[in-house]
Amino acid sequence: MDAVLVENLVKRYGDVVALDGVSFSVAGGEVFGLLGPNGAGKTTTIKILTGLTRPTSGRALVAGFDVVKEAREVKRRIGWISSEIIVDDELTALENLEIQARLHGVSNWRERALQLLRYFGLVEAVNRPVGKFSTGMRKRLEVAMSLLHGPEILFMDEPTAGLDVGARLGFWEVVRQINREFGVTVLLTTHYMEEAEELCRRVAVINKGKIAAVGTPDELKAKYGVDVIELEVEKPVDVSRLAPFGEAAAQDGKVLIKTRKAEEVLADVVKAVDGVKSVRVKKSSLDTVFINLTGASIEGEQTDLSKIYMRVWRARR
Amino acid sequence: MIAQLYALYKREVLKMLRSRYMWLMIMVQPVMWIIFFGNSLAGLPSAFLAQFFGVGSYLSYMLPGMASITVMITGMFSSASLVFDRRMGYLRRVLATPTPKAAVFLAKALGAATRGLLTVPVILAVGALLGVRYSVNPASLLLWVAALVAAGVGFAALFTALTVNTSDFHAPVVVGNFIMMPLMFTSTALFPKQFFPEWLKAISAVNPLTYLTELGRDAVTYGTPPDATAFIYLAAFSAAATAAALVLVERFLTAD
Repeated sequence: MDAVLVENLVKRYGDVVALDGVSFSVAGGEVFGLLGPNGAGKTTTIKILTGLTRPTSGRALVAGFDVVKEAREVKRRIGWISSEIIVDDELTALENLEIQARLHGVSNWRERALQLLRYFGLVEAVNRPVGKFSTGMRKRLEVAMSLLHGPEILFMDEPTAGLDVGARLGFWEVVRQINREFGVTVLLTTHYMEEAEELCRRVAVINKGKIAAVGTPDELKAKYGVDVIELEVEKPVDVSRLAPFGEAAAQDGKVLIKTRKAEEVLADVVKAVDGVKSVRVKKSSLDTVFINLTGASIEGEQTDLSKIYMRVWRARR
Repeated sequence: MIAQLYALYKREVLKMLRSRYMWLMIMVQPVMWIIFFGNSLAGLPSAFLAQFFGVGSYLSYMLPGMASITVMITGMFSSASLVFDRRMGYLRRVLATPTPKAAVFLAKALGAATRGLLTVPVILAVGALLGVRYSVNPASLLLWVAALVAAGVGFAALFTALTVNTSDFHAPVVVGNFIMMPLMFTSTALFPKQFFPEWLKAISAVNPLTYLTELGRDAVTYGTPPDATAFIYLAAFSAAATAAALVLVERFLTAD
């Protein structure tokens, strides 16, 4: 049985279509990533799957239960971790855990809570107000809170947003551990390619409310990824001659060639071009898959931003 | 439902007890009322007071009224705290668990009623320090405490029901004032109704704050036997407000 099964999910907020027929499934025990730019529909999907909002149409099953008709059964079996850390700063770690446990009707909560605090290295801070914790500790507390009732599926909405590099690496280890040792299925959303590649067995790329592709990171790279050969040249080159190798373009003293297998064609490419000064190869990565599928470009956004700065700067003069 | 209500109520109480500002409010607000407002009629001849207020000192007339007003005002904390939980995302955390929405709301209302109730002994103690003599009827006192809890929940329900679907920080205060001002000035909390025009008397006669205040005066000002009708009226008000709020909460309470 699939841990999560989503069929043709549509969500409209007035005129805005947040989800436009989303379908995917998550197998029990896997770490699954929902990857997409801001506003793609990741959070809306999570909100529907955790029973916080109803879909306009379509169907979603979590742990075999319908998220609309059997919301309470779903909520018993899931845990949820937000991007912003939501804990009560005035309360101690143990009190935060107690309240969460009681909300899930866990009776032997104290034993379970102490076990989790020990597991996540928070045991010496058990009776300290959470407000005094570091961000990394608060995140770990939140994860402990989500595991109190032994959920089958854990939803993590951009779980590492706002964490520093060290805390992010630590969190990845936590996700791997709980997946392995607690046997929990994880569905996480992220816009960090690296995170998806590190953690997820399979990834769905979502863009503008639609699933653009689903597969393992390797499958996606093979299918949608491209290698880029970058040549620095002495004089302008007729790029049409490079067409057999892949899509080619010239820009300020450089030639860029998008190709499937850079290593195999590299020698021929260099032979075909006169006056090559240097060669660089960018291998296919989830980054290039992401850019390919969503049309987003991190560089493009930066260019836009610099234009805005220029405009502001001119306006001030 | 009970387990979750207990958990959320415990959260309310713990957060309240750990807030210095909450204690400041509980302790200082009664003092300010009594000093600045309680003395405003200090110069009235005591024969006049005895005739129209039924007691020789305005303070001892006013203190139960003040207790009623305080319990009503703290109801606003219920609505404000719900808006705050929504803004902070806490409501999402709760609603992603099997917790019924009713438990979320009832915990807020009971939390606010608890806050209000904590103020009452402080009010009476400050009054005693300033020389107010109480004549207590124990049966009336018990009924008054029950009435304070019922009314506290009822007022909290009223405020919360009206701000159940907003995340605007201003809403609880604006809505609160729309309700509190009329209720306060049309009740007998501060002045006896003998001087009210007829239309104001009519409003006063259906105002829950009037009944709550009169129960308090029976209990500690006049020391008269309990008035069951007033209590039944308040209990009915509380039940109706809570029921209406539960319906609205079920329908409109969302995570954001």
